[in-house]
Amino acid sequence: MSQEDAFYGKGSYGASSGNSNIPPQGFQPVYPVAGQLDNTAPYVGAVAEGTAEGIVSNGEYAVGAMGAAPTNIIGSVDQQPPVSHTSHKSRRQYPAEVFELTNTLAASPAPPSLSEPSYVMARTPSSSPYPHDRAEVGTKSLSAQFGGMSLGADGAAAMPTNELVSVDLYNQTPEISDLTSPPPPINLPLSYSATGAATSNCPPKYVRSTINCVPTTNSLLKKSKIPFALVIRPYTSLVEEDDPVPVVTDTIISRCRRCRMYINPFSIFIDNGHRYRCNSCGIVNEVPQSYDWDSFRNVQRDRWQRPELNYAVVDFIAPQEYMVRAPQPLVYVFLIDISFVSISSGMVGTASRAILESLDRIPNKEGRAKVAFIGVDSALHFFSVSPGAEEATQLVVSDLEEPFLPRNQDLLLNLRECRQGIENLLERFQSMFATTRDSSNALGPGLKAAHRLIENIGGKICCLISSLPNVGVGKLELREDPKLLGTNRESSLLHPNDSFYKSFAVECSTSQVSVDMFLFSSQYQDVATLSCLPRYTSGKTQFYHRWNASRSEDALKFASELTNYLSMEIELEAVMRVRGSNGLRMSSFYGNFFNRSSDLCAFPSFPRDQSYVVEVVIEDTITKPFVSFQTAMLHTTCNGERRIRVLTISLPTTNSMTDLYASADQVAIAQYLTVRASEKALSSTLNEARDSIISKLVEILEVYKKNLAGQNTGAAIPLQISTNLRLLPLLCLALTKHTGFRRSSHISSDLRSIALCYLSTLPTPLLMRYIYPTLYSLHDMPIEAGTVTEQGVVLPSALNLTSALLQSFGLYLVDTHIHQFLYIGKDAVPQLLIDAFGVNSLADLKAGRFTMPVIDNPLNVRINAILGKLRSLDKGSTIMPSLYLVRGDGDPQLRSWFFSHFVEDRSENSPSYLQFLQTLKEKVRD
Amino acid sequence: MMSFGSFVYIACLLLNGANMLLQIFCVIMFSDLEMDYINPIDLCNKLNDLVMPEIISHTLVTLLLLLGKKWLLFLANLPLLVFHANQVIHKTHILDATEIFRQLGRHKRDNFIKVTFYLIMFFTLLYCMVMSLIQEE
Repeated sequence: MSQEDAFYGKGSYGASSGNSNIPPQGFQPVYPVAGQLDNTAPYVGAVAEGTAEGIVSNGEYAVGAMGAAPTNIIGSVDQQPPVSHTSHKSRRQYPAEVFELTNTLAASPAPPSLSEPSYVMARTPSSSPYPHDRAEVGTKSLSAQFGGMSLGADGAAAMPTNELVSVDLYNQTPEISDLTSPPPPINLPLSYSATGAATSNCPPKYVRSTINCVPTTNSLLKKSKIPFALVIRPYTSLVEEDDPVPVVTDTIISRCRRCRMYINPFSIFIDNGHRYRCNSCGIVNEVPQSYDWDSFRNVQRDRWQRPELNYAVVDFIAPQEYMVRAPQPLVYVFLIDISFVSISSGMVGTASRAILESLDRIPNKEGRAKVAFIGVDSALHFFSVSPGAEEATQLVVSDLEEPFLPRNQDLLLNLRECRQGIENLLERFQSMFATTRDSSNALGPGLKAAHRLIENIGGKICCLISSLPNVGVGKLELREDPKLLGTNRESSLLHPNDSFYKSFAVECSTSQVSVDMFLFSSQYQDVATLSCLPRYTSGKTQFYHRWNASRSEDALKFASELTNYLSMEIELEAVMRVRGSNGLRMSSFYGNFFNRSSDLCAFPSFPRDQSYVVEVVIEDTITKPFVSFQTAMLHTTCNGERRIRVLTISLPTTNSMTDLYASADQVAIAQYLTVRASEKALSSTLNEARDSIISKLVEILEVYKKNLAGQNTGAAIPLQISTNLRLLPLLCLALTKHTGFRRSSHISSDLRSIALCYLSTLPTPLLMRYIYPTLYSLHDMPIEAGTVTEQGVVLPSALNLTSALLQSFGLYLVDTHIHQFLYIGKDAVPQLLIDAFGVNSLADLKAGRFTMPVIDNPLNVRINAILGKLRSLDKGSTIMPSLYLVRGDGDPQLRSWFFSHFVEDRSENSPSYLQFLQTLKEKVRD
Repeated sequence: MMSFGSFVYIACLLLNGANMLLQIFCVIMFSDLEMDYINPIDLCNKLNDLVMPEIISHTLVTLLLLLGKKWLLFLANLPLLVFHANQVIHKTHILDATEIFRQLGRHKRDNFIKVTFYLIMFFTLLYCMVMSLIQEE
């Protein structure tokens, strides 16, 4: 029998037993016909029956799944014709206008793009309206569009709506596939857009709204208790070419003269297309003169082909007016801790090697990128290389009170011109300090010196620190007190301890310098204070707990994360502003940046691996059928081009609570609650953070029960919520059990702080994984899982996080995006161990940090493929998950860490999912 | 010659008046910030220089009232003194540019209460001063 057959034969290892009986010693896998094994249902059923709660039954699962996607009653987005030929469509829609436009242009030399008026006329009845003048033209057109649907005076009434389907939370297992499914559709007829392109509205991967239907009044929003916020992620990949966005190259930028909104697919052209009505404030603006003229080829161009009228996400190349100064080059200053701890842990060696290997990946098309290196111990060590020189000169400054630059030039090294010198320096970097006994770390003075070095250019300071700063300004003390952990006073450990880091952050922000922290700890590192600097300068904090280069996994993780970080195409000197239609105001902003004015977020450099949350308030009653939000981000690309990325999302309005609830996005709401709670944890207490999550959830459930839940009869009062919000209770529970918020006396303040950093910045899909980790069962995954198809590697379906699903003979994978755990049950059969790891017994497997071996076996290959796929699931992440092996019979500490991710289970002092629902029910009843 | 009592009133009146003007200035600055006429960094630099003088002068007023045995007025000033002391102990008296927009609501409320307090205090002190001067005549 071939190896493959043998493998298929074992389709599910030990599964035939169905319960947790220990397989006999000489367990021989049965080899049935491969075809039979496709049907894994009986096995799943067996698992379900085995669960303690007894609520997981296959039938109910199916019922839950039926109501999974909220259905559109009519005219949903996808029922619109496809959009590849937008010009075509636009002409169909604008017959009269186009005809007139052609006539007026007839005198001009060449109107080639508009040469088909007769065809256009023929195709459309003359009554067909100009789509946006709907308000003026009357409601006739709309009713035509919706085919006989009744239309009130209020335009909003005509919108197709999402259907509200209630579910009883008690009666079903949480449908975790909802975590990755798209939000309720935005039911905005595409005919509202100028071109009717399907890309007119912003896809959820860029901007997600907590409600895809905006209430017309603030009182309705307040009454509904649903938070109103936008989750914005301007970039979805680390390098532009992985996820390109259409670019408007002709520097003609048309903006509303009152509200400054950029022209977008929802702008309403009137007056023969000479003017347009801003979809945000309603004022009429002139269309720029050469809007229909292609200045590169000197020909008339088709307006309806312009990217900004077809795509909701576009990059404008900015003209001169948008530049304060010439585009700055990309600058990295590496501030490396060279104290004894740092050298002996191998951090300096690993870092210098990783930087050396990444030199080619630093974006440097123009050859302008610059780097500098500063070593920090009880003095500051500068390195100077003159262009073309092979060797670097070390210059030591020991004045920490007023750190000065030892030279005026050659400290900031042009990456191309000084390449040889830089390479030599990095190769010798560790050996230069190998014999050091210095245990001081003058981070503060080092930061000041680095800032002085680049304050006129701006750039990034990348700090690699592995000891607590203990000399000069910004020195920190060991304030961790294990007695405080788990008490109410624990929060004081999460607040910054030194005001230097905040005031320095403001200084950096004004001079366009952003600071990133890579922290390596052998002991307390005060992440809470040090992470302040990245928080306000749009940087990032990475924390490597108990890191040591002698573990190859540790070294590899750091090296690959540093490489990802350096190869990221960051944007420089960025500012972001979110504008909303009349009556809407952006009230608070969450994320890593500095608020330069009430609604302007400043980013000295814009990382591509973070997302931002903006809270919206409704100030005036909205009378329009839809509203728009526009995120505009002015930045300099690392190739020295000034650009504006504009993301426009338009949402229909409603005055019914039902619509509001039917189009609420549970994932976006969860993200909003997360960032708000993180903010609370950092500014006040963890208790308050947890309470803010739970009280919001209770409010939502209360409102739903009072206003929307179906009339229920009988003694048992179910806990109801709409289908699209059914995961919210689980996500809230998972949040309160998360490392960042859990009440526990075993989480050091460093780990908590870094968890809060991740919680407040991770992009949505990764954040969901971080809050509710994904559990895969590897020993009985379907045959196609782990194999490569056109869509890439197939992942097995995720399981609910309850340890009742774990078989003692199984092999499981839990992925939190930051960590991955391979769990091998204590009764695993030898064949499984051989196939997966190439070892004969459990005792041969070392629990803890783990590298998946690569052996020539289909199961091993598939597991490696799955691990690889999970590492690269999101193109916009710099994090490389660290893999741990957990043995069912192994280290109790590791096991309890592993099982703390099983959020549906009861733990220490937090309830299981069912108990949680019970308490919710009690709270809602009151 | 003016009695000590009158001197206390006059000194307190002047200091209190200065504090009142200062708080009104803060109100204007905060509304400027809301309207984006000033950026948070400039605002904090300007206002933070004025925080300590205000606290010191108010403490001085309270002390003078205590020395002058004006018990009622002293008690009226005591809550604000405690509030200031609490701020200084927790280091929250300095405005933080990074958090200013999140705390704006609270700052404005505090400001408003202070202005009202100083205003009432101003007229009370004015009345007391006049009365005390008349009595001396």
